[in-house]
Amino acid sequence: MPRTGTQWESRPNLPPTHYVDPRVYTDQSLFEEEREKIFDKVWAIVCHESEVPNAYDYRRCQHMGGKELLVVRGKDMKIRVFYNQCPHRGNVIAFEPSGNAKRLTCIFHLWSFDTKGNCVEITREKEGFQDRLSKKDVGLRAVKSEIDMGGFVWVNVDDDCEPLSEFLGDSIDFLQGELSTAPLEIMCYHKTIVPTNYKLWHDTNRDLYHEFLHRQNRLIAMGQPGYLDRQYHMHVHGHVTADPSVNSYKNIEKGTDIRREMGWPGGEANLHKLLNLFPTVTYNMRPPALRIDTMVPLGPEETIVEFRGYGIKGDSDEVRRERMRDYNSFWGPFGRNLPEDFIAIVGQSIGLNHGRGSPYILHGREEETPHSEVCIRHYFAEWSRMMGRSAADPFNEMPAVAAE
Amino acid sequence: MATTKTATKKPRSKSAAAAKPTLKKKVEFRFETLFEREKAVRELIARTCLTMDAYDFNSYLDLCHEDFQYTITTYSPELRKDIIWLDHDKMGMKTLLDVLPLHASDHFLRLTMSRHLSVYTIDYSANDTRASVVSGLQVFNTAKDGGVTELLSVAKYFDTVALEGGKASLLSREVRLDTRMLGETGSLIPF
Ligand code: FES
Ligand SMILES: [Fe+2]
Repeated sequence: MPRTGTQWESRPNLPPTHYVDPRVYTDQSLFEEEREKIFDKVWAIVCHESEVPNAYDYRRCQHMGGKELLVVRGKDMKIRVFYNQCPHRGNVIAFEPSGNAKRLTCIFHLWSFDTKGNCVEITREKEGFQDRLSKKDVGLRAVKSEIDMGGFVWVNVDDDCEPLSEFLGDSIDFLQGELSTAPLEIMCYHKTIVPTNYKLWHDTNRDLYHEFLHRQNRLIAMGQPGYLDRQYHMHVHGHVTADPSVNSYKNIEKGTDIRREMGWPGGEANLHKLLNLFPTVTYNMRPPALRIDTMVPLGPEETIVEFRGYGIKGDSDEVRRERMRDYNSFWGPFGRNLPEDFIAIVGQSIGLNHGRGSPYILHGREEETPHSEVCIRHYFAEWSRMMGRSAADPFNEMPAVAAE
Repeated sequence: MATTKTATKKPRSKSAAAAKPTLKKKVEFRFETLFEREKAVRELIARTCLTMDAYDFNSYLDLCHEDFQYTITTYSPELRKDIIWLDHDKMGMKTLLDVLPLHASDHFLRLTMSRHLSVYTIDYSANDTRASVVSGLQVFNTAKDGGVTELLSVAKYFDTVALEGGKASLLSREVRLDTRMLGETGSLIPF
């Protein structure tokens, strides 16, 4: 039955955990607060160890909180992370996305730094600073980092943060076999700037109900026996896993089913496993390749989404090409699934109309199947905890909601 | 000095004049062949764009040789290596194109696509059965709502054209992309 304006605007008859105010996806002040209370407090993946395979390799990355980062592998083969920022007058040190350099030299006035973050040269140091400031005072800003969960470079810009293992909790057990049996190696990378909120992308990654959107998923997963018998599992900090789906590739193009035989060390060839980590990381393990999503939110309605595809270190060229072919046929920029996901969240953003569109966004499905929206509710519970705000009533405009 | 000048000039004009009848005949003959052959090659490349612009996938496939190989590649400065984003033989391409309309895509819902092409160079193999063609490509999106046009991608085609039985057909195509960020949603439709 069509509804009147008042009916359309009124809150749904569901608990406030089961819907959110649209402004959590559009409001600038909430976004600034997320930067401070979430992005600069949580652990995030910035790249993979195989992106800096050799001594002196570096990779320029962006942290989700907005900082420019420089991931550097030293002569000792240890990976360290610094702000990509010169302590002199703030120029970025590395401009190229990646490279190899024994010394990291700022182009502006040629101050130089080693791969441990020490300043090793201030041009005309004595003449300019006499003894008031020296190289030891102007090292790079080190960022806490750990290499974990398949060789990923995790960082946290909060010096007082909890260890990564505590942040991840037992969510990491889910992919332990796939991530620790053989070392991974990056095959491909691409990114997209999408005019939408980062949470909408992550909601979609968590939400298996949206598999209806994808022809590929309808054919390979949704009709399989046991598809609906699977459940979500909640972990600390809003992380979530779902029981793997058993996919069959017989109904899609020739060759796709054959590539499954390549499998994945420590995993089963036909299992598709999803691990979603609060607030932006997704592990998408669908042999013969692994996909990792990370994000850099640029504003409440602008987000960089980064995609990385992995094979196994030491793969032959032929095997690598087959893994890449399979990965990209689903998830590359010309893939069959990824553009569909993007068109859906861009459509959501159009509908949100900068917070003046949809009066609320529903996450209210409750069922013991992968079509429950409990996975998104779990996310917003963590968001609310960190922000100190109800996602259904972020500005405390509905006293009844705040009290619930 | 003047003598030298005359001396050099004279034999050159003499030799050109002597060779003229043979050369003219040869040039005329080859020009006609080249013209027809080059026209066939240029038209083939252009038609691959026009058919794809029109989502006329069957006609596109008709232009492709049975051993057709298609890739979309790019260089990633992030990884300092090449990436292959689409990798199909003729069968794979046919399966993809057959089901594209069953997918949700920006290019069916919001946008139309237009390929702009400049053929740069055509080189023929020694036995003239293959042509290697390099072309510049720009792909534009035009919004259905309001008609604004935006550049989606800058790329090059590296094509091999088979010239067999008086017919040109596309034997292989590498779409080499400069642009790696492809609009807001990527592209279900190959370039
Ligand atoms: S800003 Fe880097 S040396 Fe001056
Ligand atoms: Fe999806």
